[in-house]
Amino acid sequence: MLELKRALDAKGHCLLEMPSGTGKTTTLLSLIVAYMKAHPLDLTKLVYCSRTVPEIEKVMEELRKLMNYYEKEMGMEQNILGLALSSRKNLCIHPSVSKEREGKVVDGRCYSLTASFVRARHAADDAVPICEFYEGFDAHGKEFPLPPGVYNLDDLKEYGQTKRWCPYFLARHTIIHANIVVYSYHYLLDPKIAEVVSKEISKSSVVVFDEAHNIDNVCIDSMSVKITKRLLDKCSNSITILETTISNMKENDSKRLEKEYKRLVEGLRDATIARETDMALVNPVLPSEILEEAVPGTIRTAEHFVAFLKRVVEYIKTRLRVQHVVQESPAGFLRDIHTKVCIDRKPLRFTAERLASLIRTLEISDLTDFSPLVTVSHFATLVSTYTKGFTIIIEPFEDRAPTVSNPILYFSCLDSSIAIKPVFNRFQTVVITSGTLSPLDMYPKILDFHPVIMTSFTMTLARPCILPMIVSKGNDQVAMSSRYETREDTAVIRNYGNLLVEVAAAVPDGIVCFFTSYLYLETIVSSWYDQGIIDQLQRHKLLFIETQDAAETSLALINYIKACDNGRGAVLLSVARGKVSEGIDFDHHLGRAVLMFGIPYVYTQSRILRARLEYLRDQFQIRENDFLTFDAMRHAAQCLGRCMRGKTDYGIMVLADKRFSRADKRSKLPKWIQEHLKDTNCNLSTEECVQICKRWLRQMAQPFSREDQLGISLLTLEQLQSEEMQKKILQRAQGV
Amino acid sequence: MDDYQTCPKCKTTKYRNPAMVLMVNACGHALCESCVELLFAKGSGACPECKCPLRRNNFRVQLFEDPAVDKEVDIRKRILKEFNKRQEDFPTLREYNDYLEEVETIIFNLVFDIDPTNTNKMIDNYKKENKDITQKNRNRQSQEEMELEELLEAEKAQQCEKANLYVNAELEEKKQKHKAREKLIDELMFSDADAKSIVASHVQATSALAKEQPKAAAQPSSGVVKSSKFSSGIQIGLRGQHTNSFLPIPKQEDLPLYRYTAPVFDYDGPPPPPIEKLGKLNYFANIRAANITERAGGYTEAMSCCRALQEALGGLFYSPQLTHKTAVLATNPSTQDTDDMETT
Repeated sequence: MLELKRALDAKGHCLLEMPSGTGKTTTLLSLIVAYMKAHPLDLTKLVYCSRTVPEIEKVMEELRKLMNYYEKEMGMEQNILGLALSSRKNLCIHPSVSKEREGKVVDGRCYSLTASFVRARHAADDAVPICEFYEGFDAHGKEFPLPPGVYNLDDLKEYGQTKRWCPYFLARHTIIHANIVVYSYHYLLDPKIAEVVSKEISKSSVVVFDEAHNIDNVCIDSMSVKITKRLLDKCSNSITILETTISNMKENDSKRLEKEYKRLVEGLRDATIARETDMALVNPVLPSEILEEAVPGTIRTAEHFVAFLKRVVEYIKTRLRVQHVVQESPAGFLRDIHTKVCIDRKPLRFTAERLASLIRTLEISDLTDFSPLVTVSHFATLVSTYTKGFTIIIEPFEDRAPTVSNPILYFSCLDSSIAIKPVFNRFQTVVITSGTLSPLDMYPKILDFHPVIMTSFTMTLARPCILPMIVSKGNDQVAMSSRYETREDTAVIRNYGNLLVEVAAAVPDGIVCFFTSYLYLETIVSSWYDQGIIDQLQRHKLLFIETQDAAETSLALINYIKACDNGRGAVLLSVARGKVSEGIDFDHHLGRAVLMFGIPYVYTQSRILRARLEYLRDQFQIRENDFLTFDAMRHAAQCLGRCMRGKTDYGIMVLADKRFSRADKRSKLPKWIQEHLKDTNCNLSTEECVQICKRWLRQMAQPFSREDQLGISLLTLEQLQSEEMQKKILQRAQGV
Repeated sequence: MDDYQTCPKCKTTKYRNPAMVLMVNACGHALCESCVELLFAKGSGACPECKCPLRRNNFRVQLFEDPAVDKEVDIRKRILKEFNKRQEDFPTLREYNDYLEEVETIIFNLVFDIDPTNTNKMIDNYKKENKDITQKNRNRQSQEEMELEELLEAEKAQQCEKANLYVNAELEEKKQKHKAREKLIDELMFSDADAKSIVASHVQATSALAKEQPKAAAQPSSGVVKSSKFSSGIQIGLRGQHTNSFLPIPKQEDLPLYRYTAPVFDYDGPPPPPIEKLGKLNYFANIRAANITERAGGYTEAMSCCRALQEALGGLFYSPQLTHKTAVLATNPSTQDTDDMETT
């Protein structure tokens, strides 16, 4: 809290690592809300970004608790408006549209009911369907702001139902004057969406990125484009649709095309752009001076533009016809496209904008078919805008199946700072926080910003409720490691198996194991099967395996939880970086032990990764090995953190790889884990590990009441105000 | 599959003849190479589709899937050679854009054969009017192109530098190896120590160096065996056929778990009082209490008393005619009797 206050005072950015389950969200919310109340001029808005919808709901729950507390203590209604925003898919209440499962389809259908031209048509002809909820909102909702309070997604929907207003647009509209906004990362980081949703948020806001350990990957994903052969084929189809629509319109209603043409000639930017419903398509980040310029003459008329698009698509098709992997810089690509099909850089830059304008003019209401073409147009705009920090990789086939021709063009962003830079520049304070951000010094480097505060917090615990151990060898003294040279070794695999069997015999309830990759998991399990280890394991616990199929995995998870709940006990074998390792908590009996088999390095042969490493080395002076280790260790820490979700929880963390005990790896673990990792526990054999586990479990199994925590990890008001405690706090404050 | 390229004349597809190459001429209609040779043996002829006269020399390999695009690009290149004004040649951006659009319209007209006479006239006019500028611009690169060139140059330079770095590192390594070798020879020549030990220590040192280099050789897996597969293609259930795995740990039979069920005795008589109740019912008054030595072995007087009662009551209802069923039925009313007996 102290650090956060300092960052707010300094109006700078900060990076905080706080262990999970220790009230991170509440702390952030309560301080920032208090700050907003105390300095209403300095700080007007809190934007809280989280990863998934359940996490957003959790934040809203915390906020509601906080508000209730304020009301109880202060005795009056609080004038604070907090709200959650999600996609149309989660907020739609239209009786038929909301039945759709896929987000894209919902967006497309919503657009076809609410776009301004559809509504204009409806005014002329009642048969054209529109959305009554949007109409209701448009007629009344804009004048009456939402009354203060806390609204999560369901509350918004309910409110919308009673008032007959569209909750999605209501929420979008309310963002401007809400005090607290909770939504997903993408609304801020993805330039395509951020432009629409987050444009109006003022500079004097605090932005919090929660669970931000993967923020660099989110940034990169939002700027990267992947083009496959099938996508291009679909593009050709949509181009033909465009052609026919244009010729139809020319015959029937040439006025509109003329109007658009004139506007483009004048160099005026789209006047309709202010209309919120029309913004289904927006160009990715472009420097504003370019946006002010008129669209170049080569693509001004509709036919010319369609012919232009055709050439672009055909050109990319020829590029995909390669026999070997090609890696190219954007500059090289631009030169090639100029010589091959005579396309200059400038019109290419306007592709996305021009396409959006054309689709709007043509009044095409079903946008779902056009998404491939939109992707290509984004690619064209990005490739001509950025010459640095990107690379183009064309692979004729996948590495796994070199005989199947499946050409893919990756336009990959190498620099995670490009996407996040506008966020850092625009807002006075950006807080990046997560349970596992170690090593902290890497993030400022790869995101290219200067934090004023950068701290890692530990937990104050009444008992040693985590037990991290590094197991480096089996009972036969063969070193355990997932190194490439030894991963096929049966002795290593058997030792891993024995470790799991013995831990499973000693630890009650649930055990979660993480492997470095799906491939490795499957090799090991098949080998264990041969060695009879699976049989031994099943004598103690049920066995569940995560697979690449999401449905299968969630079924396994449900049954795993069931097995843990009824006391049978279960082992879940899963993969670091997989679905289970991100966002699924194994609290209390669901995860009494976590085993990490090997260090989860990324697949280093991937060309995209190679390119990124090279870029990082050249631009930010980060050595390849440093980045790989950093990435591996943050995923390992993320996996380990799964079992520890609060102060009353307890869990064993076993790091089964010899290399973990090296200083460069060990020091990269989060502080709150390092604190409990004693030197004596750093080079254990299986047998020793099990002995320590047994002793520790016996200690942990003792009843643990609230009174035990009082005075250490839980303070009453009197204790907090006591002289001794005050002195301690003061000391802490001065110490850091 | 219809997404294979097909020659419109002989209907050969790329699938059936992978060596087939499609060619296009000025009219934008494709023909395969062999058809071109056949039809245009004389050097000129008419396009089989649009009947427009073509020369064989003008056939080029088709680059794009859509031959119309090939045609367009062809025309565009020709036109842009003439229409090569730059933004610098115009006073305002607006005029430049108008010019660009005009060029685009000309190309468009040529591609779709709209109003050819007028278009050609326009081109000729333009050629006459702008001879100087065209000539001048041909030798000049636009600003944008220069920018790109510069970028590419920089990239190349960087790559060169990197390559140099690698080469240098390699050279360094070689040098080191050479040095080690020379050192060995020197030592062998001048040192007094045993030659064998010197060679051995040298081998050790080099192998230690070599170990640092990562070895990259995965063991090829043994032959394919039918079995179930993971998604990655890794097989499970190779038991017994895997050549390089050791004997599996013998599987212990999983017996069903033991479950206690109380034994049911068929006394064939009134049920004896249970052992716990004996004390309450005052049976012990009639028997000798167990002494200390007896109790040390776990004996209590209740045991013998219980046994005696069971023996006394067992078989009281026995009669050869009675079936088992009736005997069971008879036990219920008889409980009253036993109680009476106990009190007596």
